[in-house]
Amino acid sequence: MSVADMETKLPAAEATPARRGTVRSVLRERPSAIVGLAVVVFFILVAIFGPMLSPYGVHEKIGTPFTPPSLSHPLGLDDAGIDMVTLLMQGARVSLVVGFAASLIAILIGALVGVTAGYFGGKSDVALMRVTDYFLVVPDLVLMIVIASIWGQKLIYIIIVIGALLWTGTARVLRAQVKSIRERVYVRRSLALGGSNGHTIVQHVLPQVSPLIVANAVLLIAVAIFDETALAYLGLGDPTAISWGKLIKNASEAAAVSAGAWWAIVPPGLCVATVILACTLIGQALEDALNPRLKASYLAARGFRIRRLREDEP
Amino acid sequence: MSETILSVEDLHVWFDLPRGGVLHAVQGVSLSVDRGERFGLVGESGCGKTTTILAMMGLLPPNATVSGRVLLEGEDVLAEGERSARPHRWVDISMIFQGAMNALNPVQTVGAQILEPMELHGYATGVDARERAGTLLELVGIGRDRLDRFPHEFSGGMRQRAAIAMALACEPKVILADEPTTALDVMVQAQILGLLERLSEELGLTVILVTHDLPLVAHVCHRAAVMYGGILAEVGPMDALYHDPRHPYTRMLFSAVPDPTGESEVISIPGAPPRLDRPIPGCPFEPRCDRAFEPCSSVRPRQISLTDGREASCHLNDPALTEAS
Amino acid sequence: MRGGADYVIKRAIFALVTVFVAITLNFVLFRLAPGTAVANVARVPGASPELRAELTREFGLDKSKWEQYVIYLGQLARGNLGVSFATREPVREELGTALVNTLPMVALGELFAIVVGTAVGVIAAWRRGTAVDKGGVAVGLFFYSLPTQWLGLMMLLLFAGILPSGGRESLFLFDPTPWRHFLDVLKHMILPSMTLGLVLFGEYTIVARSSMLETLGEDYILTARAKGLRDRRIVRRHAFRNALLPITTMVAISLGYIVAGSILAESVFSWPGIGKLMYDSVGQRDYPLLQGVFLLLTISVVLANFVADLLYFKLDPRIRE
Repeated sequence: MSVADMETKLPAAEATPARRGTVRSVLRERPSAIVGLAVVVFFILVAIFGPMLSPYGVHEKIGTPFTPPSLSHPLGLDDAGIDMVTLLMQGARVSLVVGFAASLIAILIGALVGVTAGYFGGKSDVALMRVTDYFLVVPDLVLMIVIASIWGQKLIYIIIVIGALLWTGTARVLRAQVKSIRERVYVRRSLALGGSNGHTIVQHVLPQVSPLIVANAVLLIAVAIFDETALAYLGLGDPTAISWGKLIKNASEAAAVSAGAWWAIVPPGLCVATVILACTLIGQALEDALNPRLKASYLAARGFRIRRLREDEP
Repeated sequence: MSETILSVEDLHVWFDLPRGGVLHAVQGVSLSVDRGERFGLVGESGCGKTTTILAMMGLLPPNATVSGRVLLEGEDVLAEGERSARPHRWVDISMIFQGAMNALNPVQTVGAQILEPMELHGYATGVDARERAGTLLELVGIGRDRLDRFPHEFSGGMRQRAAIAMALACEPKVILADEPTTALDVMVQAQILGLLERLSEELGLTVILVTHDLPLVAHVCHRAAVMYGGILAEVGPMDALYHDPRHPYTRMLFSAVPDPTGESEVISIPGAPPRLDRPIPGCPFEPRCDRAFEPCSSVRPRQISLTDGREASCHLNDPALTEAS
Repeated sequence: MRGGADYVIKRAIFALVTVFVAITLNFVLFRLAPGTAVANVARVPGASPELRAELTREFGLDKSKWEQYVIYLGQLARGNLGVSFATREPVREELGTALVNTLPMVALGELFAIVVGTAVGVIAAWRRGTAVDKGGVAVGLFFYSLPTQWLGLMMLLLFAGILPSGGRESLFLFDPTPWRHFLDVLKHMILPSMTLGLVLFGEYTIVARSSMLETLGEDYILTARAKGLRDRRIVRRHAFRNALLPITTMVAISLGYIVAGSILAESVFSWPGIGKLMYDSVGQRDYPLLQGVFLLLTISVVLANFVADLLYFKLDPRIRE
């Protein structure tokens, strides 16, 4: 057991069995999750409809670079004279697509590895976990940079590269939970009654781990967007794809800071930050629901209170 | 032996619940314990017995509100909350908890944990304190050489014995024991109880023993109190509770044949304990009582004094009510 | 301590194997990748034919891939990582200088993150449920969500004119005393390390808070209180130490993030460290240098993880079984 083991060992041991609709109930009840979901939905809508509704084109040079905001251009023009708001909406498309797609890839790999290792145990477990451990220790962004710089700069490559390196955390967490689910009565009963492994996994294991998968997927979207933004800044993004990261890079290269053109830098970063924050809130709310802290503290700043009962009180 | 060392007067404890609402865990409990006595406090889980003894040391959590008095040798421990409770802790009254596994700090040696209160309260320091700690360990049957070991290196029974040694560090007058033998096997249970008995005789310690294990109480304690649903159902000498119970709950409890394997829980009386987050108008035991009569569902029974030392909270003991019905 | 030696050896072996995997991965990615520009470390632009021949010989570029691999390992053992395409200097030296620059900057940022993050987290746990608690966590989460490079740019916007906007030292300081030089470097270091620290501290806040709450609910805290210890002493002596354990774990987990953050922060502030070296080598397609940076960063993280394992082992006696 090592330090890296710690983070996955404890939660699974205390996780409550997921009930049907856990995800939905969390998303409906916890304020942080509601806010997060609202924000994400907002940006998805902007991404889908925004560029279509904008009167300006994404490549349409309208005026002088770094024109300050005005009524017709609420966020001014960028370093090439294109409307910032339109660019931001287009950026939403690219960034969100990368985020969701990469997260999907990572979840698929992670679930495959984690469930297989947890369910079948034995040699496959050991082998898979060794591989996972190595990937876990190697710093993600560094490897992404290296691969992206060798492979090439098409958006699909970027998505694959990010997805292919983000699966490790999910794999470990899933493995831990699947291991404990495997020992549960209904699973053993299903197998004893002659159910195949595949059937058991689909019918009994997957429903139990699905909230955990969803929580991980959401958190990975945040990481994927962060990584894409970073890769774009380092010049490794797809030059034809306009993502928020690319907008930050363009502004930075065109010396927006010196020009005082805050409208070219601040909005794209805020968009990224907002989406990442929203995903983090949702993901954490889900994780909290799966690992409730049952203990109250014995100690806090304020201690217990004294009350004097009057004669008439019961 | 009949000098009162600790008395609880009309103790109430409320807990704020996380989703709003209040749990009335202890509802007006009064009892008194004599010096040198072994006093049992029994009842089902959730009846308020643990909360009651925690209140005796003022060890209530931040979400608690308390009213009433706890007089330890005449001084009200709860008068000013934490401030009035703290000076008595460990010096006059100490405690051993259920499951010493968690009650001991895993990253400190056992010796350090016994030493700490000694140095804190000025009983001994340095080498002298270590010496005393070693003596205490030997008193409970653990070798002195174990002072520098960590709790996880001890077995369950040894940990509990170490906890007893720790509880004796500042020579308290009263020891509270909260389910000290739960989760230990029978042989070890007997050892621990024998130890407590011996220490109480030899050192003149007053022991208040909280448990749900009736044969244990019957064996070890002089007097006992039975709690139910936050109230004190009955209190009195052990054989009186056994042979002449004045509360139906006491009677049902003690009429069970003691389980020779020592694994008995409280015998199952049909029904469930009451919810304490809502006010109960009458007697909390009424739904499960086989002798309930007219006033029981609407009038709260008071703690009524019977012969000396005995009290019961049951309308059946109230001549005024029984004559009327 | 028998159990202890086992644990240390196991972790050491794991670290070594991971390093070996990283080394091999490095070779596979760069030498076996399609395209001679990448695979051929001898194709240094503007190099003399002699240099090219020398490199070809050193790295066995005319031999089979397997032989190249073995030679690569040998050269690595001797510290020979080739020659930078951009500067024609040995990669090893570039890395050395850059590392010396990066370490203090990252250390300062990480220190800030740990201290501030833990403090906020502990206070939030102590004042659970109050505005202080919710506010502290909110601020931490907010900064955590910011893209590092963007925060750096914001800092530049904010502090333009007050603090230097890039580089490691002022170009116009003539013959400074060591003290003035030190102060000058420090002035340049503040913004990049604060950028790093601000993005990092949020995670520490959450972990410290959660860990402290968990610890404050442990039974031995009740025991400590029962012994008559005052609240502050309980927190200091009993709660804090136990609550700290997950924070050491956190350091190990955040290493990957530190590396990413430092790459971005150094790029924004032109701080001449490893991160900037990576940025430059990517931009210039300086593959030997890129390889070197990759190797250095990966091995550093593996080593740091190993140290964290050792530290955790020392702090928690339970592992010693």
